[in-house]
Amino acid sequence: MSCAEARPLLLDLRRRRLAPEVEEAVRAHLAGCAGCRRAEEAEGVLDDLLTQRLPRHAAPDGLRRRVAALAAEEPRRERRRFSFTSLVAPALAAGLAVATGALLVERRSGREASALSALTEEAVSDHLRVLASQHPLEVESGGSHQVKPWFEGRLDFAPAVPLPEVPDLRLEGGAVGYFLDRKAAVVEYGLRRHAVTLLVFRTEGLAWPARASADAPAPDSASSARGFNVVLWRANGLGYALVSDVNPQELATLAARFVAVARP
Amino acid sequence: MPLALAPVPDAPRGGSRSEVLDHVDALYNLARYLTRNPADAEDLVQETYARALKAWHQFTAGTELRAWLMRILRNAWLDRHRREGRRPERSGSLDAADPEPQAGGEDTWLRGDFELEQMRRLVAGEIEEALMALSEDQRTAILLDVEGFSEAEAALVLGCAPGTVKSRLSRARAALREKLADYRREEDR
Repeated sequence: MSCAEARPLLLDLRRRRLAPEVEEAVRAHLAGCAGCRRAEEAEGVLDDLLTQRLPRHAAPDGLRRRVAALAAEEPRRERRRFSFTSLVAPALAAGLAVATGALLVERRSGREASALSALTEEAVSDHLRVLASQHPLEVESGGSHQVKPWFEGRLDFAPAVPLPEVPDLRLEGGAVGYFLDRKAAVVEYGLRRHAVTLLVFRTEGLAWPARASADAPAPDSASSARGFNVVLWRANGLGYALVSDVNPQELATLAARFVAVARP
Repeated sequence: MPLALAPVPDAPRGGSRSEVLDHVDALYNLARYLTRNPADAEDLVQETYARALKAWHQFTAGTELRAWLMRILRNAWLDRHRREGRRPERSGSLDAADPEPQAGGEDTWLRGDFELEQMRRLVAGEIEEALMALSEDQRTAILLDVEGFSEAEAALVLGCAPGTVKSRLSRARAALREKLADYRREEDR
């Protein structure tokens, strides 16, 4: 075996990917060739640098929790659709409600809080990703007439891109992102020096809190997480989440203006 | 060779949905080196899981789960580049027919024990910077190899033949050695 034949096989030798007879031939060549032995050693040094020194980035805990929630979500929906228990459950629940109404109300409020918390966390995470992203906007715009058509063909729904006449509010642009397991329209605004993100997404299969089901958000409807405020509402079968670090009352007022101009 | 962009490749048969969580660190690590940014990497991994779990019911012939997820991640990343009207940086010579690179850096590595010892002293930041200076396809080939992917698994991720993986990895490692040798030369000045 020549050096020209042996050199391309040195990495395969280290990875133990050679047939026994080829491996034997390469080793025989190495025994008599100092140049190829050094090349083989150089492959080893590069392997050591890559496996021992190159930083390996571990997934942040927040991401780990979000993907775990995604993986857990679908089987629950399937069980609801197919299992006998799920058909009987409403009847059982109705019977139990007679005896233990207070307990159920408490549980429902617990579920409500949990749904609100999950949506708020996701909306804040999406807002933070937009803020930290190097390429936050896929379409930059001077007006909603440019941004709204841009979403056509990129989403299977037509999001409203409202731009109410509010002092110091400007539309920055839009992008397609993800809200939990589904695609979302991400519309970015500036309000004075604050960033405001509007997320629009389908709500099928999402646990949706009753307080966010009204056609227009109430003045006290903002929830918060990690220092950001979120107002959620539903309209025309779509869910909306408005996220920013402006104060909760101002954000709720802004959300109400969004609803008003988006109404057909 | 351009990557065939099936939206989501066939899902692995018989895997448990919870198994996908075993690979979140490997996916995030590749995403960090592709996007160069923690926030974009998180977004990409979340999109990968959303795509994968949506296609989970499409069971076909057994496929290695980790490679399947990595392929979805890379496809999602390439899709984003297309949406943004950007092209991922590609190396010039990917085909097996291309000549082996004649890199001056390679010579440095093979000159003697002293030079090899200098390479052993490279620090994490230098290695990361040199890796990030490679084209995306070369960087991915190296990272998959570091993750312990076989040529067949890497071929699934990269959408090419196993033979192409071999030549691509060989060229990527040569290019990386050359970049790393540049650091030594700069220090020697």
